[in-house]
Amino acid sequence: MVNTNTADVIIIGGGVAGLSTAMQLAERGSRVIVIERERLANGSTGRAAGLLGQLRGTEAHTRLLMDGVKIVQELEQRADVEIFVQTGSLRVASTTDRAQEIKDLVAMGKSIDFAIDHIDRDEVAAKLPYMKTDDLIDACYCPTDGHLQPAELASAYLKIGKRAGVEYLQNCPVEKILIDHGRAQGVETAAGTFHAPAIVNAAGPWSYLVAELAETVLPTAAIGHYYLTTRPDEQNPVDRLSPAIRDRHQRIYSRPESGGLIVGLYGEEAIQYDMEQLPVDFDMSSLKARQDDIHVAMLIHATQQRFPWINERTPMTITAGIMTFTPDGKPFCGKMPSVEGLFHCSGFSGHGIVQSPAIGVIMADLILNGQTDYDIEAIEADRYHDVAGFQDRNDITAKCYQMQSDYYGRVEGGSTQ
Amino acid sequence: MKILVSTKRVPDTDQRIRVLEDGQGIETGNLPFIINPFDAIAVEEAIRIRESQDDEVEVIAVGIGSDDYEEQLRTALAMGADRAILVETGSHVDSWNAACILAAVVKSQQPDLVLMGKQAVDDDANQAGQFLAAQLDWPQATFASQLELKETGLRVHRETDHGIEVIQVRLPAIVTTDLRLNEPRYASLPGILKARKKEIDRLTLADLGIEISPRIEVLNMQSSSTNRQCLQVQNADELIDKLRNDAEVL
Repeated sequence: MVNTNTADVIIIGGGVAGLSTAMQLAERGSRVIVIERERLANGSTGRAAGLLGQLRGTEAHTRLLMDGVKIVQELEQRADVEIFVQTGSLRVASTTDRAQEIKDLVAMGKSIDFAIDHIDRDEVAAKLPYMKTDDLIDACYCPTDGHLQPAELASAYLKIGKRAGVEYLQNCPVEKILIDHGRAQGVETAAGTFHAPAIVNAAGPWSYLVAELAETVLPTAAIGHYYLTTRPDEQNPVDRLSPAIRDRHQRIYSRPESGGLIVGLYGEEAIQYDMEQLPVDFDMSSLKARQDDIHVAMLIHATQQRFPWINERTPMTITAGIMTFTPDGKPFCGKMPSVEGLFHCSGFSGHGIVQSPAIGVIMADLILNGQTDYDIEAIEADRYHDVAGFQDRNDITAKCYQMQSDYYGRVEGGSTQ
Repeated sequence: MKILVSTKRVPDTDQRIRVLEDGQGIETGNLPFIINPFDAIAVEEAIRIRESQDDEVEVIAVGIGSDDYEEQLRTALAMGADRAILVETGSHVDSWNAACILAAVVKSQQPDLVLMGKQAVDDDANQAGQFLAAQLDWPQATFASQLELKETGLRVHRETDHGIEVIQVRLPAIVTTDLRLNEPRYASLPGILKARKKEIDRLTLADLGIEISPRIEVLNMQSSSTNRQCLQVQNADELIDKLRNDAEVL
């Protein structure tokens, strides 16, 4: 393929964030090059579970996710692939504080006409015969939730992006960001220099290192995450459309997968990764859990509290990956004052798959028009710019780590945010 | 009953292994080390035998090597081994010498069964189990894919190139484990915590009363070429043409 080494937009990172943004830009007529350090969709995207819970603390966030579903449904038609599996979702509470969370969530959902309601224990048991329910105080059910299949979503972005002329380079780490008079000019890679007036940092766990290439502090940190996938079990059949489950007290989420069950843990403790220490050709799919990995043991222990038939002897696969967390759990989308023409699109804190459809639209809006109809106040990239306590790498890592730890740990009170 | 399980520390071969420029070894800086996957299967099988027996069964994990081997012995302990022995050796130990050391450990521990991986994924030698059986003059069952404890011994399904061979061996015996024997468990939380506190017996070669001298000298290591190129062909004819004329495999 001939490449002229110049484009309208260069996107660093070929995960769902970069691929979605590339597709949206190309469909609006931009010439886009995606530069991926390893293989496309083989970083966090390739390890993701893809759970989609649309009702969030704010209306803006909820709208972003609900619009995402519409975009995905259109993609499914155009790319002829099933991405969204609408299983419905359940939140369960076995403690009074978690029951209060559910009560608040249902009230909030109803106030914006979102389909959500309380559901009694017998109904929960009927929907999920393989789950322990006798300790539940309350539960709520959202019939329109489900999950996005990450590989299918990425392949749809890629298919439609290719049709629109996006060029994808793989095994091509970006070594330098070219800046002249405070404006991004292009990037240097082992495969040559590429020029564009707009550059997008969609490098996921590596995004803080990419930002550093432009002497910009991006407060994200790379944090390990595990989930297990059981094999199909005749005694405990899991229907393809069994609802997803969130049990914040046990810090676990779950969804069906190929006749088995995915269960993941947002634990109190997690692995912190210094991305600079990893080999330049690091392949995230090579991450593996040891037989005596304490995080896996904690995952299995928590899983067993809700699904007593799963234990350390259950035939299962452990998926290990790296998430990109921010101090407030919300992504960074847009420009920073430091460098003109450099846009950031990272820090999805474990929710990159489901946010990516609408995020692509937002990024394309910001890059081409300088504004968007979406309410992006909460996800603006410059919200920690020059804010004390968010500039030093150790401080940033500590705050992001705390966010991960609190993600299911904290109890949401009253009007959640 | 007493079961001895040999556990080798090996690089995680799912990672990219890089050979040092001088060809005298591999880069170990960022490389994670794991218990040899075939040995993990042996540990799992030993624990399953213990769980299935009414009589008391003791599972002893053995490692041969440097201090680092403690990590893999802790893994075996966390999975459920009762105790562990580390035979400290400074240099690389080849299969023959590993068998010599294991034979000495067997003589001191008097197990009824030795379970070990059919091979280690670092050198793929597939020799130590056979050497050990020869040195002890014990029956051996290699490449086991199923084990059944009988009154009269052990019934073993062996995976051969021609199919499954079922044999019976008297105890004590050496059994080397194949991939399909079982799926090793993950250690439980209490298992990991308990393993941290367990003592590991450290023995020197002098303690065992043996001396070893290398039988194999590694002259040079090289990476195999892993350059792969993908291309899409339009039809079967083009595929056949490429296989025949470019790849020259037809």
